[in-house]
Amino acid sequence: MNNIFAVISITFKEGLRQRILYGVIISALFVMFFAVLFSGWFMRDISKIILDFCLSAVSVGGLLIPFFLAVNLLSKDIERKTIYAILAKPISRTQYILGKFGGLIALAAVVMSILSASSLVSVWIGKLLYGARFFTDFSLLAFTQAVLMSWLSVAVLIALVVVWCCVTTSAFLATLLTLFTYIIGQTIDDVVRFLSVDTVGVEISATVEKTVQVVKYIFPNLAVFDLKLQAAHNVILPFGEFTTIGMYGVCYCIVALSLAVLIFQKRDLA
Amino acid sequence: MKETVITYDQVFKTYKADIRIKKKALTGLHFQVQKGEVFGVVGPNGAGKSTALKILMGFVRADKGNIDLNGQSPTNPASHKFVGFLPENPCLYEHLTIIDHLKFCARVNGYSSQESVQKIQNLIDLVDLSHSATIPIRRFSKGMTQRAALACALFHEPEILILDEPMSGLDPLGRQLVIEIIREYNKKGHTILFCSHILTDVERMCDRIGIMCNGKLASIIKPEELAQNVYSQTTNGEKKTPLESFFLKTVEEQSL
Repeated sequence: MNNIFAVISITFKEGLRQRILYGVIISALFVMFFAVLFSGWFMRDISKIILDFCLSAVSVGGLLIPFFLAVNLLSKDIERKTIYAILAKPISRTQYILGKFGGLIALAAVVMSILSASSLVSVWIGKLLYGARFFTDFSLLAFTQAVLMSWLSVAVLIALVVVWCCVTTSAFLATLLTLFTYIIGQTIDDVVRFLSVDTVGVEISATVEKTVQVVKYIFPNLAVFDLKLQAAHNVILPFGEFTTIGMYGVCYCIVALSLAVLIFQKRDLA
Repeated sequence: MKETVITYDQVFKTYKADIRIKKKALTGLHFQVQKGEVFGVVGPNGAGKSTALKILMGFVRADKGNIDLNGQSPTNPASHKFVGFLPENPCLYEHLTIIDHLKFCARVNGYSSQESVQKIQNLIDLVDLSHSATIPIRRFSKGMTQRAALACALFHEPEILILDEPMSGLDPLGRQLVIEIIREYNKKGHTILFCSHILTDVERMCDRIGIMCNGKLASIIKPEELAQNVYSQTTNGEKKTPLESFFLKTVEEQSL
């Protein structure tokens, strides 16, 4: 475990020193300012608009980690042979993968925590500016649930970035595959729903249906982690449902990381 | 008889250079390194020197053959407890400082933070980077990065030091410093295996020198044997050192 924590620590430090925090803090100030400003244009839905805007910002902030930092920190490690500095020590490849994943989800947690805190400040400013009566239904629990699920979806995406970085030798290809994964993950639920409805005049071939079924089981359903709408309407997800989604995310991460470890064990780091 | 700490036993490795093209990097590499000796490997570009070291570190897997590193398989991470490795063109985390890297080494090797403080300072002084200890690696020159990586390799005082082109990118002062560090380290009884293109350094430092060609060791010679045999020759008016002449002769013979 000590080795995994050592890799987590060095990944976290390297990520932080890339000055992402400056960007995140500027974004947080931006979010606070615009959330309060925009919501004033929708006097009936001030609370909803502020929460929707802020939770979207939290999601986007979190997504920056898998798309930019994770590929940068992982793929370039292999490309530029920085990985030798780690694997020349008594650290196994499994520990390296788990440490990198741990460091990246920790970075995502920090980024999303800062943005979440700024979101709560926006709600507080909104209350002061527009009056507390607009925020009587605001539920901190629903907000926290939405942020936690958003973080879990980022963790799933990071686990897949790790897989892609183990499969390909190019940082560009890894980014592209991550982007495809994200798009598929966000839309697969809608596609499946569309196919299940019989629309007059629309014929769908059996091949397409089978392909969608396969894709549905391979790629993660990222839309299921999106609780922004519920939080904006102050709907608290029942504990059972929340735990089930959480378990789905955790299991997906475990499967993806196991696959990454299997691939990485066999890979030549020439 | 001295104990053998590194064994390459008929090691073969082929890389896929392209989908259809395969490149034979090692073609039956076979040699042993004894405890406490400095063994230098020289060879032309593409001879397989770096691949041999990468296989020894477990970064690359051999297709065939056995490799023994201090009684263990190189693919076992535990074998790295006894080994320090300096890669060719070392690349460290560029936003971190040498202190961050050495702290990482301390943590991985089980040193407490109190123990590591003095050790880190000593190592930074040893590689002459005390003035740059708090500067991120991205601001380092190639030679400074090389010395920082050497400090990381030496942190846990490994029994075996494996160096891939340790002198590349170093100015004459840096080269002299690294040579002195390696010599001092060897005096403590540690084993050193290294690859280099700089024949004069190899000649000065090694107990035995292996000439690698076409993926295998073509010849092994001791520096005193070079002095005994008159390998020195002059080609086109240019005087060559005994090792240079021996090296060229061996490579020519292998190319035939």
